[in-house]
Amino acid sequence: MAGTGDAHLREDAHLVARDLVVEFSGPNKTVVHAVSGVSFDLIAGETLGVVGESGCGKTTSGRAVMQLERPTSGEVTLRGQRLTDLQGTDLRRARRAMQMIFQDPISSLNPSRRVKDIVREGIEIWGDPDGASTSDRIDEIMEAVGLGGDDVGERRPHEFSGGQCQRICIARALVLDPEVLILDEPVSALDVSVQAQILNLLDKLKEQFQLTIMFISHDLAVVKNVSDRVMVMYLGKVCEVAGTDALYAKPTHPYSRALLASIPGHELDLPPASELISGELPSPIDPPSGCRFRTRCPHATAKCATEEPVLRAVAEDHYVACHHPGSV
Amino acid sequence: MRKRLGILFWIAVLWIVLVVFLAIFRDSLPIADPVARLARSGECERFERPSWSRWFGCDNAGRDIFARSVEGARPALVLGVVVTGIAGTIGTLVGVISGYIRGLFDTVMTTIVDISLAFPALVLLIAVSVAFEPSLRVFVIVFSILGIPGYARIVRGATFALAEREFVDASESMGATRARIVRRELLPNVALPVLSFAFIGFALVIIAEGGLAFLNLSLDGITWGKEISEGRHFIVDHPHVSLIPSTVMFLTILAFNLVGDGLRSLVAPREVATARRLHIEGTPEPRSEGDDAVLRIVDLSTKLHTPGGLVEPVDQVSLSLAPGEALGIVGESGSGKTMILRSIVGAFPLADVTRAGTVEVDGVDMLRSADTVSRRTLGTNIGMVSQNPLTALNPVRRVGDQVIEPMIVHGDLSRADARERALELLQQVGIPAAERCLREYPHQLSGGMRQRVTIAIALANEPKLLLADEPTSALDVTVQDQILRLLDGLRRERGMGMVLVTHDLAVVKGFTDNVAIVYAGQVVEYGPTAEIFANPQHRYTVALMNSMPDLNLPSHSELTTIEGAPPSLIDPPSGCRFAERCPAVQDKCRTDDPVRAGTDVHSYSCWFPMSEHPVEVS
Repeated sequence: MAGTGDAHLREDAHLVARDLVVEFSGPNKTVVHAVSGVSFDLIAGETLGVVGESGCGKTTSGRAVMQLERPTSGEVTLRGQRLTDLQGTDLRRARRAMQMIFQDPISSLNPSRRVKDIVREGIEIWGDPDGASTSDRIDEIMEAVGLGGDDVGERRPHEFSGGQCQRICIARALVLDPEVLILDEPVSALDVSVQAQILNLLDKLKEQFQLTIMFISHDLAVVKNVSDRVMVMYLGKVCEVAGTDALYAKPTHPYSRALLASIPGHELDLPPASELISGELPSPIDPPSGCRFRTRCPHATAKCATEEPVLRAVAEDHYVACHHPGSV
Repeated sequence: MRKRLGILFWIAVLWIVLVVFLAIFRDSLPIADPVARLARSGECERFERPSWSRWFGCDNAGRDIFARSVEGARPALVLGVVVTGIAGTIGTLVGVISGYIRGLFDTVMTTIVDISLAFPALVLLIAVSVAFEPSLRVFVIVFSILGIPGYARIVRGATFALAEREFVDASESMGATRARIVRRELLPNVALPVLSFAFIGFALVIIAEGGLAFLNLSLDGITWGKEISEGRHFIVDHPHVSLIPSTVMFLTILAFNLVGDGLRSLVAPREVATARRLHIEGTPEPRSEGDDAVLRIVDLSTKLHTPGGLVEPVDQVSLSLAPGEALGIVGESGSGKTMILRSIVGAFPLADVTRAGTVEVDGVDMLRSADTVSRRTLGTNIGMVSQNPLTALNPVRRVGDQVIEPMIVHGDLSRADARERALELLQQVGIPAAERCLREYPHQLSGGMRQRVTIAIALANEPKLLLADEPTSALDVTVQDQILRLLDGLRRERGMGMVLVTHDLAVVKGFTDNVAIVYAGQVVEYGPTAEIFANPQHRYTVALMNSMPDLNLPSHSELTTIEGAPPSLIDPPSGCRFAERCPAVQDKCRTDDPVRAGTDVHSYSCWFPMSEHPVEVS
């Protein structure tokens, strides 16, 4: 699964990440290959779910799109503008069209500021996009995220539950009227009942604010619920990209199948996960040659070690980076 | 200030306020002239002892010591304020930039700070003071330079941690400039640690000034240091001349330190110093004939006496587990599910805890047996697996020692036998290179391997009961599947009872025989897992199941939510605790505690269970 290649990219995309590479320096002058040649795109109004386990590079990909992590190589374009070329003020200006929401809602809010000031931050920096009065806009957004009420703004983050803090984070992100939201495990720290509230809220806000969403999560059931299209990642590479229902109905990459088969209590037609995946995750400092999944794949052959598979179509809008997709 | 700072803090604040007040308003207060030789005018004798009319007495020249102590506070305070201001401001800015921008600036700054901290400060002070005539300006410059590294270091550390927090990333994505992030996000959060350090730094400045006076390096005019230094000549016959200014200086330094420490406790709140106390109430429920349960819990209630009030995280819980069976305990955060496990083994965080009811493990009464008996049961009959394998294992000891030790302590095995058995265990829990693993440290293993090691430790003494608290919540989904299968296989092979505590309903579905659904400290539904999934009765169980995203539904299916939040366990509401969030709530639910209904096998505490009212009541 090495998953380079860009056969799955579409013409009319709003946001495109092409051949993204992000490397960090590791201990003893080694290089950590966090993301290695990953391409994906989002059409306006679409939700792309990005799934994979720890170390697959999903979070780093999201941060690289935001330019919070500057990619080692590759490009990110938004409406045709290359974000990867921008610096300083130009970058700050371009970046406000995208906003990011993080896993830990409590750590995402500055404990020493009032909610009102936290949510207002974007307008303080850039001015009001609509020209409407600032406090009206704040009220409207707080209402939209389900935190309407008089005294909410005056309080500080520690007075709110995890779910409410995540709503505040969403409000803060929406203030600048962003085109793209990048959500990094936004419900993983929340209880199931609260998680459902936030997922429903996100679906509602997507319509209301015409958002394009990159939804990063390790939870396959959550990703299925919110996504139009899903990308499966493993060890810094793309394994499979397809429409959500197609991918869950017919997972084709061996790793996608192993992931789905590992979900506790699932009722999918798959063999036990123990037959689909073995061994341990290799180190991103020294990833396997060829297909990075080959060391754990039951179908691996000599070719998998020498030649990196490229994403190719196995059905309409269903792309897989595997030399032996037919054998599964 | 929400947290209690303690009476000492406020006394210290009062002292500082008093010293500052006297120093500022000395001239308008009826205080004697500090330089007037009162002995000459006969107002006071030389070495006059303290009395009601002259509080601190007089010194060798017949001058009023009280007036001189007040006068001496002035240079100490001026020096302290100016130095703390200069060093604090520069040090904070350097520290914030160093910790946030990092890179070359940080490397250079840390090196400078390290060097200056290694430099003997006293030597520099003496050298400079000898080279230049001691004056307020020289003292300010030298003390400030010496103070900056301390502030820079503290602030850099605090900023380093803050800069990793997501709110800094969020501000950056918002397009905030770095200057704005420093001003709005970082500085307000380092203010308190800096303030705390400033008080301690203030005290250091006063000490340094006093110390230098002994070397005859002192400011013009009256200072505490000079008073003490001069008074020491008369220490034998007239101790009050030097002891009084010493005490004033000592108390002032102590006060600044106490305020600094008090402020620091706000930054890093330590555990409230509650003594650990365990109480047991009630009488045990006798076991019925033929009951071979490995775990028997009857009407267990656990109460925590906290500063905020009495919390009851476990309320009248009854559960039973036969050998070889698995029991799932499912609930959301704060539901009390982990507290049930803690109540079984009696392991609580520092707190005042009362347990009532019956807890029996393999026939041993865990609440009322002698310590030695319950500890032996803990060590040999109960195995524990926790959520985070990295904190469950000792990071500085080899895996082998950690697996072998409990076998030697509780299992009476020789070291060689124990090692043999450890190898066997590691193989059984699916560790491929068991021999090598024995020699490794926990950080060298992956998360899944570490959890396998904690399972091996839990199994070491062949326990009859395995208590697993969220054993897979920190693991990836493919690893979770492996660990759950491993636990499932082990308990079947060994006929071991297993309690699986989790927030994830899906986890109990395939891996438990019975399940207890916990809400706000109470078991609201209890019965065979398959039966409860097929035929849930309590409204909370139903809501919990519906709020999980379902893989069988198409994407964008609307999820059923449970509005609101669970009630506080301090003084919970009467009636059904789920009433406020229940879609089928009736008046009765808000007033009357639900009575346990259903059968011996499948029971639930709901006035309007699904089977009797399949359509939503409204």
